[in-house]
Amino acid sequence: MRKRLIDQISRLSFTIIIALTSLLATAQGVEGDVEHGKSLYNANCAACHKLDKKLIGPALGDITEKRETDWLISWIRDNQALRNSGDADAIAVFEEYNGSLMTAFPQLSDQDIMDILAYTAYVPEDKVVVAETPEGPVASEPSNTTTIIVLGAILLFLVIILARVKNVLKQIKGLETNTIIEEANVVTRTALKNPRIVTFITILVAIVLFQQIFVALMAIGVTQDYQPAQPIAFSHKLHAGDNKIDCNYCHYGARKSMVSNVPSANVCMNCHMNIQEGPTTGTEEIAKIYDAIGFNPEIMEYIEGYEQKPIKWVRIHDLPDLSYFSHAQHVTAGGLACQTCHGPVEEMEEVYQYSPLTMEWCVTCHRETEVKVESNEYYAEMHKSLKEKYGADTKITVEMIGGLECGKCHY
Amino acid sequence: MVVWNVVNVTINKENLSPTIMVENKKYWKGIEELNDSELVKSLQHNEFPTEVSTEEFLGNADKLEESSTTRRDFLKYMGFSTAAATLAACESPISETIPYVIAPEEIIPGIANYYATSYYDGHDYASILVKTREGRPIKIENNKMAAINGGANTRIHGSVLNLYDATRLQNPMIKGAKASWADVDATVKKAVSSAGSKKVVVLTSTVISPTAQKLINEFGATAQNFKHVSCDAFSYSGKLDATAAAKGKRALPTYDFKKADVIVSVGADFLGDWSGQRVNGDYSTRRVPGKDMSRHIQFETIMTNTGAAADKRYKLKPSEVGSVLVALYNEITGSSLAGANKTLSSEIKVAAKELKAAGKNGLVVSGGNDADVEAITIAINDALQNDGTTLSYAKSSNLRQGNDNDMNQLIADMNAGSVGVLLIDNLNVAYTHSGNAKLASGIAKVETSVYFTESLDETAAMCNVLCAKNNYLESWGDAMPAVGEFSIMQPTISPLFNTRQMEECLLNWTGNSKSYYTYLTDNWKSTILQGGDWKKALHDGVISAAPISVPQGVSTEDTGEEENFAAVVDLSASANRIAKHKGGEFELEFYQKTGMGVGNLANNPWLLEFPDPITRTGWDNYLTMSASDALALGIENWHVSNGALNSHKATIVVNGASLEVPVFVQPGQAKGSVGLAVGYGRNSAGKASTGVGVNAFSLMNGSHSADVKITPNTDVHEYACIQLAHTMMGRKIVNETVLGTFLNEPPSNEFGTGWNQKIEFETHKGPLASNEVNLWDDFDHQTGLMWNMSIDMNLCNGCGACVISCQSENNVPVVGKEEMRKSRDMHWIRIDRYYSSDMTDEKADEEGISGIDKFAAMEHPSESPDVFFQPVMCQHCNHAPCETVCPVAATTHSSEGLNHMAYNRCIGTRYCANNCPYKVRRFNWFQYYDGTEKQFDVNYAMNEDLGRMVLNPDVTVRSRGVMEKCSMCIQRIQLGKLEAKKAGHPIKDGDVTTACQSACDSGAITFGNINDAKSAVFQLKKDKRMYHLLEEVGTQPSVFYQTKVRNRA
Repeated sequence: MRKRLIDQISRLSFTIIIALTSLLATAQGVEGDVEHGKSLYNANCAACHKLDKKLIGPALGDITEKRETDWLISWIRDNQALRNSGDADAIAVFEEYNGSLMTAFPQLSDQDIMDILAYTAYVPEDKVVVAETPEGPVASEPSNTTTIIVLGAILLFLVIILARVKNVLKQIKGLETNTIIEEANVVTRTALKNPRIVTFITILVAIVLFQQIFVALMAIGVTQDYQPAQPIAFSHKLHAGDNKIDCNYCHYGARKSMVSNVPSANVCMNCHMNIQEGPTTGTEEIAKIYDAIGFNPEIMEYIEGYEQKPIKWVRIHDLPDLSYFSHAQHVTAGGLACQTCHGPVEEMEEVYQYSPLTMEWCVTCHRETEVKVESNEYYAEMHKSLKEKYGADTKITVEMIGGLECGKCHY
Repeated sequence: MVVWNVVNVTINKENLSPTIMVENKKYWKGIEELNDSELVKSLQHNEFPTEVSTEEFLGNADKLEESSTTRRDFLKYMGFSTAAATLAACESPISETIPYVIAPEEIIPGIANYYATSYYDGHDYASILVKTREGRPIKIENNKMAAINGGANTRIHGSVLNLYDATRLQNPMIKGAKASWADVDATVKKAVSSAGSKKVVVLTSTVISPTAQKLINEFGATAQNFKHVSCDAFSYSGKLDATAAAKGKRALPTYDFKKADVIVSVGADFLGDWSGQRVNGDYSTRRVPGKDMSRHIQFETIMTNTGAAADKRYKLKPSEVGSVLVALYNEITGSSLAGANKTLSSEIKVAAKELKAAGKNGLVVSGGNDADVEAITIAINDALQNDGTTLSYAKSSNLRQGNDNDMNQLIADMNAGSVGVLLIDNLNVAYTHSGNAKLASGIAKVETSVYFTESLDETAAMCNVLCAKNNYLESWGDAMPAVGEFSIMQPTISPLFNTRQMEECLLNWTGNSKSYYTYLTDNWKSTILQGGDWKKALHDGVISAAPISVPQGVSTEDTGEEENFAAVVDLSASANRIAKHKGGEFELEFYQKTGMGVGNLANNPWLLEFPDPITRTGWDNYLTMSASDALALGIENWHVSNGALNSHKATIVVNGASLEVPVFVQPGQAKGSVGLAVGYGRNSAGKASTGVGVNAFSLMNGSHSADVKITPNTDVHEYACIQLAHTMMGRKIVNETVLGTFLNEPPSNEFGTGWNQKIEFETHKGPLASNEVNLWDDFDHQTGLMWNMSIDMNLCNGCGACVISCQSENNVPVVGKEEMRKSRDMHWIRIDRYYSSDMTDEKADEEGISGIDKFAAMEHPSESPDVFFQPVMCQHCNHAPCETVCPVAATTHSSEGLNHMAYNRCIGTRYCANNCPYKVRRFNWFQYYDGTEKQFDVNYAMNEDLGRMVLNPDVTVRSRGVMEKCSMCIQRIQLGKLEAKKAGHPIKDGDVTTACQSACDSGAITFGNINDAKSAVFQLKKDKRMYHLLEEVGTQPSVFYQTKVRNRA
């Protein structure tokens, strides 16, 4: 609950800040929607421009102070036309950046460009880092402990009522009454003298103890919720959640191979060659990719002869070697979503192991999951005979096509 | 300087102090006793130091008492910290997952890549596919696109392991010291330029690479006096000379067994090791019983796989090969050359008649290395006019080119001191020519001897510059195995060590700055490809193109040797020489064992352990001898109590050289002859091969046979022979019949005497087949997939490629000789070999022999037996005896007809193995992968970090105490199914192949889904030759066999 509250507060504060900044931006003289401008900027400009420093093109942080808005609009719309018209400034800029061509953006309306400019001009008063609290797994059912406490309370309540009732009865009979505590003492003393009760309690305690030990032992090697610190504070929430990058873009092996590969640094570089600064950790974490692969962000070049340092990620999901799990089987053939086993990765700031990855867990799913026999020609013949065997309306589970046989996973 | 005093004292028994002296000697306890007698004296009185009281020891007793930490507290703290440390240590280790920094485009982790390449080691050649996982080559597969040698033999399937042999030479060396390549380059360049009039010689085995040959020629041009000598480990020089004389080209023909209706082989083991051309696949296409089945008559000395496959087999001594061929020639052509064989005349007449009838579809091949014998063979084939059908001189083979005359000249030159620089490649000459005493002295006289080698072998010990060579899986190269057939060798991994291939060295030494890859592609583009696509050729691995000519055996004094061959062959002179040649009392035939060949891959535990197809013995070579000769010489083979085989030894003497060898009694061995395999007795090839067998090359000198003197002794030799019973004892284990019966009679008849009689049981419901008499409910095998395997014993020639293929696919451990003696071999597929016995049920009835006498006689193989090969793996019974006895359900049945084995569930009771009628279950008696168990240190494929690179990551490495067995390559099945699901089509033939199936270029093994009426295995199950092994026990196996049919009356 607390987490949710904090989350709500932080979201609220974010909205307020955005609202405030819009106001501020208006106050600075460039009229435009900063939010809209930001998204347009990220989509169209960020590949070549940064706000605070030169990338392929000039830094745009203070561009509204340097140039006239009209000039900027015509430059952004079609810089070549502007140069062709003989605009001296335009030609000078072009030459300053060694004649590298800037894309024309005829699709942007004046308001769009104004929004972008508003975004570039916007300076937050203090750098407000909006902390997004990661949401851990939320227990959907009341835990055992709660149940026990509730039951215990009810029991206690009943005992008290009974004691009261007894006292009332005694009073009616005119006998001496005891307080609850005295009564409890008497009961305890009598109980402890009774060997049957003692034996019963001992056995009960032993059983509970054994059960607990058994559960504890069974949990050995089960690393559910394992959430190790990674060498790079990579946020799946940011990449997969906010930016909606498809899982398969980085983990391209999942569709084709048994292994869902951890992406190599060159995959990171596809975007991070240009995106050199992140919203939460700035340049610090991204610099680790550059350090691994040997990239100089200042001049946007790979370093010749660099001794590359592989990134040593900490493995979270680690099935024992004795079981053979194929991602392609589940993702491509089975059509499962990644989240089925890996949980809401797109909401995880730091990834943790969502599923227990125990055999029981595998088997349960294989018992319940329906095979999509209709959509795959592979099952055509099999489906016919399965229908004969189980009836046309029965759902064909993985178990029915042999998904519980030892050799399907252990060889 | 210490002066030792000797003091006279008398013995005083009551005072036995350290200084007591006995008689005249004084014993000092140490030097101190002598030097510092004071100290010694004090110690004598007070041996132990003064006791220190606890209080004193602990210092200030008062302070201690004041301390808040009591002794009890201290113990508590200690206990706590110990417990805490223990608990902290319980934390599971952090495992890392390290991706590539820049992932190679073609590698997706978990998916295997296949590359076409070629194997050539100077003796064996094949075009192959290499399976790599995450950049590691792990398995060899056949290249079905290759027109020649697309089927890898047993050794080539095992060759991938040699890549990961840690005993490989890892650096170049000069005079025994580690050197840099720059040093080597400088040394060799200087030696070549300063050789002056002294010869610079390149000594190689047959060079089949046109580009390497070109480079050798270019290198030769840089020297003043150059000669290239090629010499084969197992010489075919005589045969080549004869072919040169008869056909004008010093090259063996290529053979087309697909077109051969009648094959007569006189001493040629063409299915084993012969001309270098792999003909097993072609041969097998004509061995399918029917009207088209070929007829194969074999005359031979030792029992070979070829003899085992033959329809008729006759024994002869090596010296009789010539006379049989002369007789055959006389019969076919009607001539009367001298020296025709008389002892086998009726058999020869039959063979000649059949050959004549077959005409150009007949084929005669001969063994040995005798020019005269080959001349007669060529003449017979010419008489049959089969050039262009069953053999081709125009499309000649390049796989054997060695010239013994050149080699002998070289040895003479070296001894004369006229060779300045010697470069040796692909030929461990000190080993293969260890019979030639002058070789070592010759090499010693060469100033600069350069040896390109992968290991510190026998030749390396003699040469002063060692160029550490790439493994073939790390090399670029090409090959022209036959005229117009080309293949490419491409690296599948970067060199593991500081090695360089021979061609790179030669490029450097000729001052060429190109890399060999560039040189190779340039050469291909300008010659072989002729506008073709290099990438396609590289992808396919092979290309058939217009022949190119590359001058071979180039010498600066060469005057165009190719044209010097006399085209006149005097057959009668050859026949006269053959007639004069009389073998001695005992003749020795040198041969190559299927697993070892000439010993190029000696340090390969897979191949060392591989049981020979005929003798079923691994980790050895031995003298094979007929039972009657052994009896006469008093030599015995016997089993010891645990079933292991032992034998006597004998000393054999050939031309003055002697060797002590174990003697193996071999059914089918010609009387008066013995056989001994080369390739063993390596002492410096690596730890697996050290001390295994004897070096037969030390007795060999060019010829494949020699007269031998045998002196038996009573020394005992221990074999690792894994088959105890050699006959079938009248049971239907390998079902057999002859072609006439097969064609004309029904498989079953009402008398129960059909050639493939259906087994029925009398029950209260009437006669029922074994699979209908059941205690258990049947599994549903109509739904979904149902895997079945058919093994055709007519096509199997026992080569064992499947065994090694299975071993590398399934991470099968090597157990070593001692364990193998206890029948604890781990192979998932074994090839049982059975001999026929002279005693049969029918004969016993006729002669009135019965009971134990009959069976005792049946145990003895015939001296001229029929031989049967039967590959046996887990039969995947649908009523499996193993499944019912497993107390923990570790072995269970699958809906796809497979018998699953969950290793982690197995507790090692071994009930299953005891209950298995096929004896296919293998138990892990030890931790074979544990490098610390010294016993298994030969198993480097599993217990060394480098060796482990060869393991298949898709298959669990089994631990001690669990049972294992053939899984039908379930990892391949699962992969095949997945690929089909991904592509969205039902499973069809070819989607799933087992490792044994894919290795079998004879096509004996067929695997597929029996529920698919279009599958090959569905048709084969309906074949009238089909039967199940031990059908009568009612196990309903998923594996079935096809009756062996021999083409004879």
